[in-house]
Amino acid sequence: MDFDLKTIEALAPDQASLSAASRLTRQSNWPRLEKNEQLALIWGECQGSGSNPYRVVVDTGDHGYKCTCPSRKFPCKHTLALMWIAATTPASFAAAGATPEWVNDWLGRRRKTASPPLETTPVAGSKSISEAAQDDERVVVEDAASVERRETAQRKRADDTRSSVSAALDELDQWIADQLRLGLAGFVDNSSDRCRRIAARLVDMKATALAGRIDEIPSRLMAVRNEERPDMAIRELGQLVLLAKAWRSAPDDPELKRLVSTSESREQVLANPDATQIESVWEVLGEKIESRRDGLVSHSTWLLDLKSATPQFALLLDFFPASAGRRSNAFKSGARFEARLVFYPARQPLRALLADRKGDIASGDWPDFSFGVSDPLADHGARQDTAPWITDSPVMLPPGAVLLDDRGASWWQAAGDPHGIALPIAGTINATLLGLNLSATAALWNGSRLDLLAAQSGFGRLDLS
Amino acid sequence: MNESELTGLAAMRDCWITGGAAFDLAPAAWKAIAGNANPDERERRLLAIAAQAIEIALRPAAPKTLKQRPPLPKLALPMLPEQLRPLLRAALKHAADARYKTRVATLVASRGFVLHPMDWMPAASYRESPDVYAPWVDWQAGVDGEKQSSREQLTAETWDDFYPAARRIALADLRRTAPALARQLIEAKGSSEAAEIRSALIELMGVGLSADDAPFLKGLFADRSGKVRELAGRLLARLGEQGNPRDGGLEDATAELAAFISEGNSGFFRRRTTYAPAKLKSPSQESRRIDLFATCYLGDLAARFGVTESDFVGAWQFGFDDKADLFFVRMVSVSGGEAAVAHLADTLVAEGGKPALLVLHLMARLDSGRKRALIRQILKDTVDLHALIQVEGVEAGWLEWGDLTNGQTLPALRSAVAGNDEPLKRSVDQILETLGLLATAATAEKLIGDVVAAGMAPAAPSLGLLRLNASLA
Repeated sequence: MDFDLKTIEALAPDQASLSAASRLTRQSNWPRLEKNEQLALIWGECQGSGSNPYRVVVDTGDHGYKCTCPSRKFPCKHTLALMWIAATTPASFAAAGATPEWVNDWLGRRRKTASPPLETTPVAGSKSISEAAQDDERVVVEDAASVERRETAQRKRADDTRSSVSAALDELDQWIADQLRLGLAGFVDNSSDRCRRIAARLVDMKATALAGRIDEIPSRLMAVRNEERPDMAIRELGQLVLLAKAWRSAPDDPELKRLVSTSESREQVLANPDATQIESVWEVLGEKIESRRDGLVSHSTWLLDLKSATPQFALLLDFFPASAGRRSNAFKSGARFEARLVFYPARQPLRALLADRKGDIASGDWPDFSFGVSDPLADHGARQDTAPWITDSPVMLPPGAVLLDDRGASWWQAAGDPHGIALPIAGTINATLLGLNLSATAALWNGSRLDLLAAQSGFGRLDLS
Repeated sequence: MNESELTGLAAMRDCWITGGAAFDLAPAAWKAIAGNANPDERERRLLAIAAQAIEIALRPAAPKTLKQRPPLPKLALPMLPEQLRPLLRAALKHAADARYKTRVATLVASRGFVLHPMDWMPAASYRESPDVYAPWVDWQAGVDGEKQSSREQLTAETWDDFYPAARRIALADLRRTAPALARQLIEAKGSSEAAEIRSALIELMGVGLSADDAPFLKGLFADRSGKVRELAGRLLARLGEQGNPRDGGLEDATAELAAFISEGNSGFFRRRTTYAPAKLKSPSQESRRIDLFATCYLGDLAARFGVTESDFVGAWQFGFDDKADLFFVRMVSVSGGEAAVAHLADTLVAEGGKPALLVLHLMARLDSGRKRALIRQILKDTVDLHALIQVEGVEAGWLEWGDLTNGQTLPALRSAVAGNDEPLKRSVDQILETLGLLATAATAEKLIGDVVAAGMAPAAPSLGLLRLNASLA
């Protein structure tokens, strides 16, 4: 591999990037490091600050690179770190015969430049790799007084935020009462403007997470048929009432804080002794990448615990600015790996962080879940009992099939029960699905529609996300 | 939820839709929970209860008319191994249209596998899918009922048990193995089918066509469909039989066409008779000649000049008028006998260069050996490699490395890959895709190595089918 530290120094956009890259060169940050010398490629997956790992690939021949992180610095710290590891500990890279699909995708899209790789002639004094390495080793020592000052300031900020959020929820309560008084028909028609206005107020008053949720109400209303919208509006606004009441009774509850104002950092979750940890074999059920009205893109990766006797799910959730451009998928649907997940504390823990990813596992069938309960949404009901503000609930449906109604809309129905419960499916489906008997189906239920993720059938695993 | 709660919820819902306080309409138990708070708070509490009631207690009403499709049939070949599906998806993603995607399926079928139905499904209207997919074509066509494509022998009794695509394939097979039996089936069952299906059935008579079929085909001159009568006439012409005796206009047309063709002599002693398109005076005459080539039969035209079909084809002078050459070849394709078609194909391929490309219009009549010969000639000449893309219905996975190194194909590909001519590079992408279908696994692997060495990105999408081919060794 043709890397030396001078090259990395020359490629780095600034000293800060080098310092950040230096901190990412620890092996523990990289659950996967691979190379293909024939193709002059190195690649890896870096567990950055997000829930989903960043995928980085570097062409060691011409120093072309690609990282899935949303950074606007080129190359980003992950790319620099990968090069740095290649330069200092090349043995860390396992030789791979075949390149992964995401590397192939990049190779297929990129235009190779005819020009030779960048000459390593850095401007003296502008960036220094040795300084970056020292930055990493430097330990900042605070005196007791400054610790006290910092903690006092933190407490004051937390109190201010709590007061502000409390006032925001008062405004929200009044807004909800206004919508009921003015009529939900008008709310449904003007939901876009009305939600935007209250969301903007909530952002000003530090109830940022709640504002983001309210901003999404119009699109959720539009996703269902006209006649279903009033019920959907009642559900959405009713859940807001419950969430506001719950927060008022326990403003320091981490789950409620996360849903109303801001989320904990990755480090805080990992350091939380109360956070549930599950070490298991996980299968990637599917990914959802959605642009939100607040300018963010949410990237959800749904995982299934393959060692659990009952269906257990986990969600890796990241947000990044839409302006950062299209984001590649972090995982291949159907991929399996052994990992330790740390769950964000919650009444029904779902959102998690990938704390420790081990080796990949060969694909196969799902465990034989026992579908004893006749109601396929029983798990959803149980979640709502303890956390009635949950919007999207993962469910594992028993054997069934997809059918069409007269309007061409698709429904999931349990096998052998033609008059039993049927659940409507969101969006359009691949018509082939209509001919497949599904032995198990993983989906998200949002109270009115199923969003299919994956299924098992006589034709093997089906990727439906 | 009990009945009174359901009624109360419906009333509250109606009230909130139009706007106003719903407290008085709420079920008694809910009113008790809403308590004695201020009016706004009472409404919010009721809203929260109603939201939970809708979320938990109510389910979307399933229509009674939900329709289930019959299960997708399993195919006779095993599914492509899971680890090869990423390569397959890459190849399918790059395939521009249904024709190219079908090529991918053809290659995979030739190696003994079928594709996963979520990766690719043959279109109901597309007839070029490999035979193994017939049950899926029928499933796609959505033919009603519970019946499945039967794997029984096709007989008059089992005729209705077969879906159209499966029946078409079974009939074609039967024409190859027991042509008389197939003819009797078409004769017995065809008359009750619609004109479009009838004509598709008659078209199958082209498989294994022999003199034994002549009486049946002659009987079709009384068919009510003009398309069927025309098809029967062409098939009879291929057998060297006269056209429809009631169609007197055809004789006049053949005479008119003969007038547009010059008879001459060549050779040292000028003993060899030649036929060439006559020089015409106006575009309207040229247009008329094209129409006549499309209407007349080769046998009639050759008889007009008092020679056999093969003699006429052998004496045709190519190169005087490209358009006339093209329509002459097309006439041979639709109405020429087997011997005349084979003679023309062999002559053109032997000549090589541009004339060899005219064989592309005979594709539907050529056996696999002649199709391979044509492809080898195109590769050897390297005059127009792009012509490879037009080769239809050719078998997958037989092209050897020696076929590529026999001419200038590889240097031409290398030079295009290394150059900066973007249109040429796009053309090379299509050629590589076609070669991905034709090549053996070993050839595919070598070809990838060759073009990558010439500068193509190893993961270039245009190498997708070659990569899949190589991995299916």
